[in-house]
Amino acid sequence: MAKDTTLIQMKDISKSYDGEIVLDEFDLNIRENEFITLLGPSGCGKTTTLRILGGFTKPDTGRVIFEGTDITDMPANKRPLNTVFQKYSLFPHMNVAENIAFGLRISGKSESYINDKIKYALKLVNLAGYENRAVTSLSGGQQQRIAIARAIVNEPRVLLLDEPLGALDLKLRQEMQYELIRLKNELGITFVYTHDQEEALTMSDTVVVMNKGYIQQMGTPEQIYNEPENAFVADFIGDSNIFDGIMIEDRVVEICVHKFPCVDEGFGRNKPVDVVIRPEDIIIDKPGRGVIDGVVTSNVFIGVHYEMCVDAGGSEWLCQNTRSFPVGTEVSLNVDPENIQIMNKPQSEDEEAISLEEVLGEELKEE
Amino acid sequence: MKRFAKALYIAIIVLFLYLPIGTLMVLSFNESKSMTSWQGFSVRWYREMFNNQELMEALGNTFTIALWASIIATLTGVLACVAMNAMTDRKRNIFMGLNNIPLLNADIVTGISLMISFLLFGISLNYGTVLFAHVTFCIPYVILSVMPKFRQLENHTYEAALDLGASPAYAFFKVVLPDLMPGIASGFLLSFTMSVDDFVITHFTRGAGINTLSTLIYSQLKIGVRPTLFALSTVIFLVVLVILLISNYVRSGEKDKKPGKTGKTGEKEYIYRSGLSTGRKVLVGILAVLIIAAAVKFTPSTPGEVGENGVVYVYNFGDYIDPELTEQFFEETGYTVVCDYFDTNEEMYPVIKNNTADYDVICASDYMIDKMIREDLLMEIEFGQIPNMQYLAQNIRDFMEEFDPGMFYSAPHTWGTYGIIYNTELVDEEDFEGDVSWGILWDEKYAGKIIMPNSIREADMVAAKLLGYSMNTLDEEEMKAITRKLIDQKPLVYSYANDNARDLMIGDNASMAVITSGDVLYAQEDNENLAYVIPVEGTEVWTDCWAVPKSCKNFDGAMAWINFMYSYDAAVANFEYLTYAIPNTQLDDYVYEDYIEGETILSEIEIVNPSEEILARCETLKNLGAEGDDMYSRYWKEFKSR
Repeated sequence: MAKDTTLIQMKDISKSYDGEIVLDEFDLNIRENEFITLLGPSGCGKTTTLRILGGFTKPDTGRVIFEGTDITDMPANKRPLNTVFQKYSLFPHMNVAENIAFGLRISGKSESYINDKIKYALKLVNLAGYENRAVTSLSGGQQQRIAIARAIVNEPRVLLLDEPLGALDLKLRQEMQYELIRLKNELGITFVYTHDQEEALTMSDTVVVMNKGYIQQMGTPEQIYNEPENAFVADFIGDSNIFDGIMIEDRVVEICVHKFPCVDEGFGRNKPVDVVIRPEDIIIDKPGRGVIDGVVTSNVFIGVHYEMCVDAGGSEWLCQNTRSFPVGTEVSLNVDPENIQIMNKPQSEDEEAISLEEVLGEELKEE
Repeated sequence: MKRFAKALYIAIIVLFLYLPIGTLMVLSFNESKSMTSWQGFSVRWYREMFNNQELMEALGNTFTIALWASIIATLTGVLACVAMNAMTDRKRNIFMGLNNIPLLNADIVTGISLMISFLLFGISLNYGTVLFAHVTFCIPYVILSVMPKFRQLENHTYEAALDLGASPAYAFFKVVLPDLMPGIASGFLLSFTMSVDDFVITHFTRGAGINTLSTLIYSQLKIGVRPTLFALSTVIFLVVLVILLISNYVRSGEKDKKPGKTGKTGEKEYIYRSGLSTGRKVLVGILAVLIIAAAVKFTPSTPGEVGENGVVYVYNFGDYIDPELTEQFFEETGYTVVCDYFDTNEEMYPVIKNNTADYDVICASDYMIDKMIREDLLMEIEFGQIPNMQYLAQNIRDFMEEFDPGMFYSAPHTWGTYGIIYNTELVDEEDFEGDVSWGILWDEKYAGKIIMPNSIREADMVAAKLLGYSMNTLDEEEMKAITRKLIDQKPLVYSYANDNARDLMIGDNASMAVITSGDVLYAQEDNENLAYVIPVEGTEVWTDCWAVPKSCKNFDGAMAWINFMYSYDAAVANFEYLTYAIPNTQLDDYVYEDYIEGETILSEIEIVNPSEEILARCETLKNLGAEGDDMYSRYWKEFKSR
């Protein structure tokens, strides 16, 4: 769906508030018609990235290039982007129609054009007939959709959405996700979306996992989920078992003193590594049939499957299975080689470097 | 029972809140001047109110000052809030603190410091200084009510507007301002009421000829509040009530638009209209037009029409001449008159002493004339320019020798005596036949029916005269005797009262009271059982005189004013208006419509024209010097504390 032409380039962006680094030499390319999601815990820099794109925050260093034009110093009201804010930010003293017409009136569109646009936008967000409602009388989901309608009538090239679903409950959130995908496909514009939860995976073309001002991993949702590059990504995206392991040799990793066959090569011999195993990839069998034996210590039904904890080899294994094994059942665990994800220990990773800096900084301060 | 108690409780509260206003509204329709007796329905006070130019001018000043002050303060305050909102928390807190200090500051401190600053920087006090002062004390109120709204603002609406292409200014006016509107409106209204209410600050910062309602009313206390002020208060109350009702009506309309509880109101479809309904818009519009029209009509009441000979600034006791005389003076002489008012000599004195305003003619009491002559604050009067001076009554000249020897500096305006006013229905007739002694006020027969003055010199005078002392005695032993005498009398006294003694007598609340002769004819108008007697021991004669302060800029005008005051027309007008004795021989044959005796020749009314015999036993109030004042107030405190 996303075209290959680059629409926005963020180059070497750094930003700090009161000496606290929020973004550090951040680079990001956004392609035309891409649905790109910035994912990370709060404070990871994703909102700042969006504000820099929107023109509400000036980066300390670095440039923002839009279709080859440097827009770093362009004020927000001149940029061809529109933002949907976290708390909707509808104008409370205006009704729905007036809110939607706000941007169109400024750009001097005719009243008939504006009326058509309002009708079209309300239909697009499934709120046809709500023109004269007071925005304060709408539910959170409806307000969010009005905020989106207000942004898209201006036909922006890029729509920035800052945790737009954060304040909604789960059911509404899922509904809105599908609406966003539909909108994006119908409008054919670029979406830049931030979120602090994994569920954003479902609608994205590209996912950027961020932490502490750095990009941890960038890729398609499948790549991010199946091949996390480090423990942070693995932990952040979905449930994972992350074990300390030793790469005995190519294609053999030792977890909890048991050897598992795997598909990774080139880590060297007897190298300590992080091992990620998704809970649904663990095969539960009768005792003795798998690689490692254990006992079920908890069992919770969570919808489609059961989530169980198995105490095996001195570690706790989180497993998901459609079959239920009652607490106390003796089981044996196995994992297909291609489902074992081996990662280097993160000493050299950015994330670790920062935490080290922080520690050093603290020590320096104390001195 | 519980419900009854609740209802009673509410009834009592409502009564406390509204009974005073109700009383005032009823009294404004009273035919009589009295506050204590109802003498029939009348709208004469309303007519008088609208014809009283000074009152209307003060009303205009009050509301234009309030309007401009609150508009300017609102604009300034909102801008200050914009700036403060952009500050860091620390800085903002400091500024909020700075803002709150003036709010807690006593008005008197604000007023005096403003006055001193104006004078220090050579700014003469006028309409502008009052306006400036009002703006100054209104700004903190605006900030106080707007700032919280700023903090509550949905933070991102401003950014959202920018995002949609609005320029910063457009975003502020279209998006931020409407959200702030409730705060701004309440700041504006608060400023307006604070400004209308203010007396203290206005008092210190106003210049010659500028009065607001509060200062005008205050200056009228000397001769008592006229019922025109009740009429005015009623009108103001009703206007405020109407505005309040309209604004409530408008606001309730806005509330209806936001049901809020969509859950409860169910599936009912609401059609929401933005802003106010047409009807409400019209109402608000009418209100705005009315306010603006009023503002334009009354805007700065500096003398509209300046006479060919310039302006004469007169500083007088409040309501102490017939107000229509200024117009007549203008027509006859070509001088425009700007009148300014004070309540007591002590209030006027510092204004002249410190030269805070330039007046051409002042009115002052005998002892104050004495004091000002000694301090070289007065100019000699050019009696050659005052031909009417020949009509000055003979019997007052001896008394003038006591405070203005040789009569160089003053020309009497009114004069009078202190005596006993009594209700013939409430006393034994034989007690008041022939010579009456001050001792009647110590007669136990009238216990609880006697009213004594509530001021040092007058109360002391009564006891001193009874004991055969001078009212200006500086003898400590005599002072002790006077104080003992007053303490002895305490159980018999119904009330110690100054201004309202007259009204208490009109209302049959007491048998007798010590009162100045000027109030007697006024009181008799409303209660024909009242009579007046000067006790045989003698009494105080007081004189209020015109004089010219050194600050006089228009000496010829001042002379013309005094000459005019001695003309037959002015003397008659003042006498009819004030019913105080006017020392003018042209009035001797004037026929007065006495309420008790019918048509009487003025010189035959003893109240106005006491006999030589009585006057021989009278004296005037003298300055006692600092030590004397100390002694008098020491003993007064002693008396009060018993």
